[in-house]
Amino acid sequence: MKDMELIEELLNSYIDGELDERKANEVKRLIDNDMQVRDAFDSLSRYKKLMASVSPAAAPEAFCESVAGRLERQILLEDTSGYHHHAGSRHLVIRRLMTAAAIIVLMAVLSVIVLDVVVPKSSRDKFVNNTLNKKQKLQVLYEKPFADVKPAEEAVVAVVPQKSSPVPIVAKLTLVTDSPVETDWLVGKALMNTGLFDKTVEIDRKTGSVKYVLNCGRDSLVSLLGELSFIWPKCTDAKLQIGTEQPGQYVTVNNVTSQQALEICKADSYGQRIRIANDIAVINNAAAADVLATYFAKQNTGSDLLMPEKPVLTSPEKTQQSTSDNSGGKANLTIMVIGR
Amino acid sequence: MVKFIQEQLKTAGNISIDEASLVAQARAGNMASVEKLILKYQDRVYNTILKICGNEADAAELAQDAFVRAIQGLKDFRGQSSFYTWLFRIAVNLTFNFCKKNSKVSFQSLQEETDEETNRQLKYYLIDKNIQEPSELASKKEVQGLILKALEKLDPQQRAVVVLRDIEQMSYNEIAETLDMEIGTVKSRITRGRRNLREILEAAIQ
Repeated sequence: MKDMELIEELLNSYIDGELDERKANEVKRLIDNDMQVRDAFDSLSRYKKLMASVSPAAAPEAFCESVAGRLERQILLEDTSGYHHHAGSRHLVIRRLMTAAAIIVLMAVLSVIVLDVVVPKSSRDKFVNNTLNKKQKLQVLYEKPFADVKPAEEAVVAVVPQKSSPVPIVAKLTLVTDSPVETDWLVGKALMNTGLFDKTVEIDRKTGSVKYVLNCGRDSLVSLLGELSFIWPKCTDAKLQIGTEQPGQYVTVNNVTSQQALEICKADSYGQRIRIANDIAVINNAAAADVLATYFAKQNTGSDLLMPEKPVLTSPEKTQQSTSDNSGGKANLTIMVIGR
Repeated sequence: MVKFIQEQLKTAGNISIDEASLVAQARAGNMASVEKLILKYQDRVYNTILKICGNEADAAELAQDAFVRAIQGLKDFRGQSSFYTWLFRIAVNLTFNFCKKNSKVSFQSLQEETDEETNRQLKYYLIDKNIQEPSELASKKEVQGLILKALEKLDPQQRAVVVLRDIEQMSYNEIAETLDMEIGTVKSRITRGRRNLREILEAAIQ
């Protein structure tokens, strides 16, 4: 039985032409010599012919178009899903970024417009200059006029302390006026004329007052005070405060005239400056009490011409101290113009 | 485009198309090459599927599915086998899956399909061996139907092997590649399939 199955398999392979030449010859010999095998082979051949004669069915009409159509639909669907998942999200992100950028640009433009309307041009220029050139930014010294001076304990150790750290001129000039706008304009003009406008570290305009803070040399300060002499007739009151070695302490000269202010600032040394300021302060206070005013009236002498005598330095030690006390040309001036 | 290619193929007869270049172009997205591949194999694929599943509408649908999957999967086609066997593997597997899902469909009795005269002629040919050439016999629609119904009674694996060998005329190697099985298995299934089919037919005509 098993042999018959093997022979049948060989016959199938033989009829299909799948045997090599040697095996094919063996099967052929078997078919020729064995009746049963020949019958099986004949039966198989007939079956095979019958199957082969079955006419093949052709694909339906428009089969190719249907497949191509389905393929195109699939491709379109893939493209659409790709658009949704990738291009869509990318498009959304780009739109959000562009919106954010547009808002930022709009805010910047609005800020510039508001700045142009609200902030004065001088302050704006100052701000722009400071922003563009930060290295040249001037320090505000009036808040701590002697910040660079070493503490007293350390000064004892120094061999020549005053020369290494000269005391700068620190002055606050307060002008009270009935015409603040004109006075402010004159101050600005004086600063421009003396070339000190660029050295102004702060201009603070508030309702009824304007504050100028500038750092400059002593000579420039003297020139400025000379220019400011035209302001005094516009002012109802003028006060000059001279900074001392102790931070926050000032010698206050009330009713100061332009010449007095000039004289104080012209002083060669810190000590001389303080002494002159003290003397003028005493005199002006007395004048305010009308005691000296009567005297000046009798003598027909203007109070503007009253100047204290310059201190006479008699001892060499003091002279030495005086020279070592030189301010070194550094000055900080605060001008306050206050409208009444 | 399709009609143009069809006309070209008809006028050229058995035109020799370089399958490898066609596949390469189709893989690159050339629709003309895709259509050429479809036209080249559509009848054979459809015929094979029809002989396995036995229904024209299902065969058309399955054949379309097979082509769509084959062309969409061209990027995964490594060329280790021919496109022909690769396409038929997809088609046969799809048909197997379809047959599994629809296995509960009962077939009609073969005897109801044929008349007595056809049975007698078929008996003369297969059993009595009085008729030498079966061409006239096989041209009868009843005989064709009888053979298809007999095929449907075969086990799907045997049916596929018999169809691929006796109708599609594949070699044993191609059948082994298409069905992903050993050649020995192919041989034994062909033997058993043919024997069973002959027995079914003989039982039907007696």
